[in-house]
Amino acid sequence: MFGQFEIPLAKHIVINSSNEIEEKARKFTYPAIIKSQIAIGGRKKAGLIKIAQTQEEAISLCRKFFNTVVAGFVVEAIIIEELVKIDQEYYCSIALDASGRQFYLIASKEGGIDIEEVSKERPEAIIKLNFSYSTGLTENIARAAATQLGLSGTSLQLGINIFLKLWEIAKKLEAQLVEINPLVMTPSGLIAVDGKMILDDDAAFRQPIVQNLQEKKLSELEKLAKEGGFSFVELSGDIGILANGAGLTMALLDVLSELSLQPANFLDVGGGASKERVYKALELIFKLKPKAVLVNIFGGITRCDIVAQAIIQALNNFSDAPPMVIRLTGTKEKEGIVLLQEAGIEAFQDIMEAVEKLDEVLRQ
Amino acid sequence: MYISENSKVVVQGITGTQGMFHTKLMIEYGTNIVAGVTPGKGGQEVYGIPVFNEMKEVTIETGADTSIIFVPARFTLAAAMESLNAGINMTIIITENVPVFDMIKLVEKAKEKSLYLIGPNCPGVLIPDKIKLGIMPGNMCHYGDVAIISKSGTLSYEITKAIGDENIGVSAYVGIGGDPVRGTPMQEAVAYYSDDSKTKTIVLIGEIGSDEEEKTAEYIQEHVSKPVIAYIAGKSAPEGKRMGHAGAIISGDFGTAQGKIKALQKAGALIADTPWDVPKMIKEFH
Repeated sequence: MFGQFEIPLAKHIVINSSNEIEEKARKFTYPAIIKSQIAIGGRKKAGLIKIAQTQEEAISLCRKFFNTVVAGFVVEAIIIEELVKIDQEYYCSIALDASGRQFYLIASKEGGIDIEEVSKERPEAIIKLNFSYSTGLTENIARAAATQLGLSGTSLQLGINIFLKLWEIAKKLEAQLVEINPLVMTPSGLIAVDGKMILDDDAAFRQPIVQNLQEKKLSELEKLAKEGGFSFVELSGDIGILANGAGLTMALLDVLSELSLQPANFLDVGGGASKERVYKALELIFKLKPKAVLVNIFGGITRCDIVAQAIIQALNNFSDAPPMVIRLTGTKEKEGIVLLQEAGIEAFQDIMEAVEKLDEVLRQ
Repeated sequence: MYISENSKVVVQGITGTQGMFHTKLMIEYGTNIVAGVTPGKGGQEVYGIPVFNEMKEVTIETGADTSIIFVPARFTLAAAMESLNAGINMTIIITENVPVFDMIKLVEKAKEKSLYLIGPNCPGVLIPDKIKLGIMPGNMCHYGDVAIISKSGTLSYEITKAIGDENIGVSAYVGIGGDPVRGTPMQEAVAYYSDDSKTKTIVLIGEIGSDEEEKTAEYIQEHVSKPVIAYIAGKSAPEGKRMGHAGAIISGDFGTAQGKIKALQKAGALIADTPWDVPKMIKEFH
């Protein structure tokens, strides 16, 4: 991606499938770095970036990487990159300051390491210059940062150009972060060795790159949730959660965690949920095989009676459904609670009563 | 926030399902809706409200000073820009999933023109018994002296209703929205109600993500003498996961609930452990 925007990179080749390994790997000189391209972070930790001393080693690493699966994700491509001689490592990025509604050009002489650590321990080691969207990153601001980094001569202009390119990328792709870390000084000039971007899911309709990434990074269950139209995050506990409102769902998870009851998921079924949507959400939660399910609905535009109908339907259709504790309040709460009672399901209006009941159910 | 029962309101996207539904509820509440806008549908009427093609006509024909936007996300930039260019004083964006860069452009335009924006992805503003400009339930509470400022929707309804159930009145309910870039960030809303003579107590409903609670804490420390009661959701949220709202994400140790609680406590705000503790904490101050 950085290459497309004319940011200088180390010499490299891209291998897109295992069929190409032999042919392409032979064209490179070694030692070289073998980098796997995968849709999740932490590549280095997962052992997916290694140095190959010889061509044979490179080929065998490539074969191994293409067969590696990490948390359900496969290696999609491999980059073989020259080992560059590093005189100095830098950090640079363009970052959105959301609450300040402005942008920062951030740069540091301490590249290659965790910038958040540096900013906490030695904030003076970080250059941070702000600018607005409409003014954009000007040559003057870029020059000020490059000068403060200690760049001079031809490197100064190279640094300025790279910073300006970063802003061009941020604007074009609507990125909230475009980062090069490290940016390294080699005998032949500055090159970007590694980088990352944070893109905006909400801009997917006009940013094809976001669409492609969205499809890649979702787990099976997250895909189902997306199809169903609700927000879902899988957690490590054993209590299934169906609630409405992101804030209210988070608050519920906090209350449970406080009582050492561990949620299996976050699921916000959304406002004005239909019977079908609630049913689908329950179906998804049942797939997590929770010990019990807690339903917490505050009916505004969501109707409690419709939620109750979906619960009854789900319990009728899933004979192995876990025990359920239900709390309904707001629009049509009485109708909802009556419906559930008639079906022999206990329901509460008070959240704390529901949580106590859940605790009791789990202890049985 | 810069609105009153005298505000003259235009609904942008009035002919859509959401726009139409909530226009009805707002009229029933007593909100003075003077116009609607949907490009290409000028000349129609919705519940007796005239529909116009563009905002410029609306301000000339009706003198509207406040807009509420229900158009789909990809048209929100254009709709809100039209509202700002027509000189509408307060524009409330209800729409969810508005691209972040669109919001940046809108915020800069609003600043340039000294106009106000709230949202996006927000329930709107309610001044109980006077004006409802949003999608929140109208029957949560009556008028009084507690201002409620919230990043979330449903959670704030639950808390506001609990406050109302204890017969505590509310001077204003402001949903600032769950997106990372807000037309009115939390610290600006707090500044407004800190100066508002009708407000005695401020309730903040925050959540993980962004540093607005931290900035608000700094503001409170220096400028606010009224009691501030805060609830922050997401104490148990995992790092790196978006919890429903686009803005609700912890990255590293940026945006944690614990960090926000610590900052607010240090500034003298009182922290509610659960949403349901908020009403009794307000009572202790009345």
